[in-house]
Order: sequence, then C-alpha cells, then structure tokens
Amino acid sequence: MRHMRIPSLMLVLLCLTWAPSGASALTDEEMNNIELYSRLDPGVVKITSRIIEHDLLMKAFPAEGTGSGSIIDSRGYILTNKHVIGTDKLRVTLANGKKFEGKLVGSDPGSDLAVVKIEVPDEELTVIPMGDSANLKVGQKALSIGDPFGLGKSLSVGVISSVGRTMKAANGFLVENVIQTDASINPGNSGGPLIDSSGKMIGITTAIFSPTGASVGIGFAIPVNLARKVAAELIQKGYYSYTWLGATLINLFPEFAQTLKLPVTSGALVVETVHGGPAEKAGLKSGSGEGRIGKGVVMTGGDVIVSVNGVQVSDVDGALREIHRLRPGDSVRLGIVRSDGTSKIVAVTLGERPRQITTGQQ
Amino acid sequence: MLRRLPFFSKFSRLALPILFIRIGLAQTYALAFTAQEMATMRAYESVAPSVVNISTHQCKPGYYFCAVPSMKGAGSGVVLRRDGLIITNYHVVYGARDIEVTLPDGRRLEARVVASDPDYDLAVIKVHAGSGPLKAIRLGDSDALKIGQRVLALGNPFGLGETLTAGVVSMTRRSLKDKGKVLKDLIQTDAAINPGNSGGALVDLQGRLVGICTAILSPTGASVRIGFATPVNRIKEVAPGLMNPWPRTAGLVVFILLAFLVLRFVFDKRFRAVRSGKALH
Repeated sequence: MRHMRIPSLMLVLLCLTWAPSGASALTDEEMNNIELYSRLDPGVVKITSRIIEHDLLMKAFPAEGTGSGSIIDSRGYILTNKHVIGTDKLRVTLANGKKFEGKLVGSDPGSDLAVVKIEVPDEELTVIPMGDSANLKVGQKALSIGDPFGLGKSLSVGVISSVGRTMKAANGFLVENVIQTDASINPGNSGGPLIDSSGKMIGITTAIFSPTGASVGIGFAIPVNLARKVAAELIQKGYYSYTWLGATLINLFPEFAQTLKLPVTSGALVVETVHGGPAEKAGLKSGSGEGRIGKGVVMTGGDVIVSVNGVQVSDVDGALREIHRLRPGDSVRLGIVRSDGTSKIVAVTLGERPRQITTGQQ
Repeated sequence: MLRRLPFFSKFSRLALPILFIRIGLAQTYALAFTAQEMATMRAYESVAPSVVNISTHQCKPGYYFCAVPSMKGAGSGVVLRRDGLIITNYHVVYGARDIEVTLPDGRRLEARVVASDPDYDLAVIKVHAGSGPLKAIRLGDSDALKIGQRVLALGNPFGLGETLTAGVVSMTRRSLKDKGKVLKDLIQTDAAINPGNSGGALVDLQGRLVGICTAILSPTGASVRIGFATPVNRIKEVAPGLMNPWPRTAGLVVFILLAFLVLRFVFDKRFRAVRSGKALH
C-alpha cells in the first residue's frame, strides 16, 4: 500500500503544478503554425516538369513548370494536381534537397488530381496524414505549404472562407464541396496540401480566382475526401472510374415542358441513350421525335428524370451529382416521367464510363 | 504514516482520474482547434446571418432610356435592423435600377434606397422582411480598435458568394482621396478585400461590426491586402434616426415640451403682472 501511495501523492503534486508554460514569447497560434510547418514541411515536395511553351513567333521551346505535391504513402506515392504534370519527365525535389525521377502513376482530369511515384527508401519520406473534409467550419485555420512561383518552400496561413462551392474542372466535370481559403495561393502552390490546425491534410490547393494571375485572397482546394478516393483508385488501377448512365441529358425548362405538354416543369430530359449502355438496358426511353424550341431542334419524347434514389432533382447537374455519388456497379432508382404523363421508378445498374483513348497526355 | 492523513489518501485516489482527464483535455485541444480558430469560427457563425449579397442592375450613365439592364453589379450589405434595414456602400447602389438582396438563407428580396451619404460612401436600403425577420448585427466601437487586432471581413467578392477573410487592423484613421472626394477616418486592414466585398462587414473577434468594407488600394483592381473600411462610429453618426429612431425623437419631444413649459411660465408671469396692474401702480 505504501509503495502505491507515494507515487500517487507525487501525481497529485504533478497535477497541481502542471500548468501550460505561458512564458514563451510566441502566442499559441504562432507555436501551432511553427510546429505544423516543421513537422509537415518534409512531406511536401516540389515537382518540376518540362512543358512546351510557344514564344511570340509560335516557335516551341521547352519551359519548366513547377508545382507542389504531398507524400501520401510511405511507398513513395505523391499526390498532386494533374495540371502540374507536363508532357515530359518529372523531377521531384524533396524538402532535404534530394532530387528524384518521378513516374506518373495515373491522373484524373475530372478532379484535376494525379499521383506520381518516386523510388525512395521509406525512412526518407514523411507522410502527410489525410484528414476529413466533411466537417470543416468556415473560420477555422488553413495552412498552405508549397512552392509559389518556384521561389522555394513557403508557408502561408489563412482561414477557410467558405465550404461547399462547386468548381468546374477542365473537362467540364463538377467538383463539389470545394474549399475556399484566403491563405495566399499562387502559381506553383498547385498540388500542395491544405492543412488544418491539427496537421491533417484537408485539401489539395488547385485553383485561384484572380484577375491578375496571383493571389487576391481567393484560393480553392479539392476536398481531401474526394482526393482520397481518387488517389486510391489511381494507385490501384491507374485511372479513376466514373459512374456512367449512358444517356445524354438536357435541362427541362418550364416553357419547354409546356410545349411538350409534360406534367412536370423541371428535371433532366433524356434525349439520347447509348446503344447497349446502362440506361438503354434498364429501359429508359430516349427522344424519338423532333421538337422545335426557338431556333433549336431537340429530340423529344424521352423520359424526364425527376428523382434519383428518392432525391428530387430539378436539372441535369442535380441528377449527375446524385449519380456520381455512387460507384460503377451500383444500382440506382430513377424516378421518371414518361412523355405520356405516367410516372415510374426505374432501377438502373450503373456502368463504368468508357475511357477515352488518350493520345499522349494533355 | 499516510494512513493518518486521510485527506491525502482520498486525494491520491482522485489523482489518477484527474491526471487522465488533464491528459485527455490537452489532447483534445491539440487535436481540435486553437483558441484563435475557435474565436474566428464563433464570430463567423454569429455574424454570417447578418451579411447579405446585393446584386444590382445599372443603366450605363449617359443613356436616357435603359431598355436592357446593362451592367450587373455585385456587392454586400449588413443588416442593421430586424425589419430589413441594411447598410451598404453608396457606390454599390449608385445609379442602380433594380436592387436585389440575397439573404444567407437563400431568400431573394427587392430593396429600395432609404437614405444615402455620398460623402462617406454609405447608403441605407430597405427590404420587406415579411414573415421571417432578419438578424441584426451587433455594433462595436471603431474608436477602440487597436492596430494589430484581428478582424474578419465578410462579403461577396466577385459575386462568388459568401466569403470570410481574416486579417489584422493595419492602421486606423487613414484618409483616402478618391475622384476628388476625401474619405476620412478609414480603417486599413490586410484581410483580403476584393470588388464585391464593398458594403460587407468588417467585424472583430467578438462578432461586432467595426466597419463597412469600402475601398481598396491596388494597382491591379483586386486585393493586394490593402483594404479600407468606413468605421462603424461614422455609421452611428450618419444613421442614428434610422437605426434607432427613439432617442432622437424622444429628445426632440422632451425639448419641445420643456421649451413650451418654460415659455408658458415666463409669459404667464408677465401677463399676470400686466393684468393685475399692481406692478404698474
């Protein structure tokens, strides 16, 4: 008993005297920033790739483009932006200055993400842990580590300005729940991590809104919850598979619906289905007649999708948003309205979007 | 020995749980947010319902008829009163044909200009709140602002939608010359302020309005982290009757009453003296 109690008495004293050391000249906020940077900086790499640019006389000349990337796996996988990856060789520079040859594992234009691999013993790699981008709060801190303008490793600190914005990727795909921040993000920061105050990656800095080309305090990051899914598939398969309905949809406007004498005024009108695609297999009807709306001619008589898995949708984006939440092979219940006015629920087994044959990377 | 000291033994039994709780607390703090983040998030949550987006259709100056609403402008505004009184910049609503206010809850309402003060680039607009009253912002004291103090800007930059940016007070009592006008007593901040932030709120970490984002100094037209805000104390001066009509009206009523009573007293005395005739003899 005695032996037990003396240490516990010491614990009491320890508890009573254990106060946070506030004698430091730095504020908690500063300490937090410093700690995060020193811990995570080794996990951020600089990616240099040769891109072909054209001079005034349209003569091609090679130029170097730089971007950033984060090490996401101890096997040497690096997550970055697709637009950082040029046409030529990749050179990856670690924080300690060592340079490695990088190999492109896969890229996804729909989310502007790419994964690069370097062959490095794992003791040299610092992995940046991925966090959760679902419960971000406007006002919480966001840190961006990257290589703006190729200057060298830089930290910039800001807050999350908004969450839930939708951004259009280069190929017209919508990226949802994009994170907006006022941390300075400049060309060269692309592909770098956006980090929260606990040192977890919450996004991949991807784009800025700026009339000048440099930061005006409006930067965007792809949410890590999407990046995690994409990166896992890129590593596994080399590409990210998208769910595919196999139908061409257009928005149904009220005037349009009136002309066609449809009982609904909004939704996604099926104008065409791909032969042998999931939509056709499930019995979705495409347009057969020709309708004239103003000066345009539209295939009419097809089904109107008004709900997806019980969620009401009012336009094409809404329908695709719901469909893209699912994975290829999943079954989806589409609420449709036929051209004769009857409503129906159709179960469609979603397919995988056929990959376009890419002639070189672009 | 220890057995004779029941206090210690009892306490030592508590010690371990206390220790665990302390470690637990320390860890939750480390994993969650810093104090500054907490303050920022709390301030944003309390202020966000009071900041609105304003979009305007303007006729191009010089055209007599405005068949096509040509220029579309975006700005921000801050709710001063629950019934729909909103303060914004004069230049946001200047020359506007239609003013549409988008509330944070998504409602779109028509607004009309109630009062404006071009000298200080301020305007007060009114929407009909109807059944759902708005949330008025709390007003702070812009004279108490300290340089280096953290401030938050809420607005609608480039018409993107509601956006929070953070910075510090870079300087107070700045004067700016703009097209022959002089804007006095401005607050300068390094929070990113862009076109569209005009009329938006500049708040302190307690969520109190300290200024209205008004201007930026920039060679590019977008933020280079030199933004200016009209101090809230100026707003208090400009629109006291609009924000809170009671004190001024009450003061006036009391003054008139007093004046009336004093006058009556004075005149009564003289008339009485005249009428009685005693004083004249």
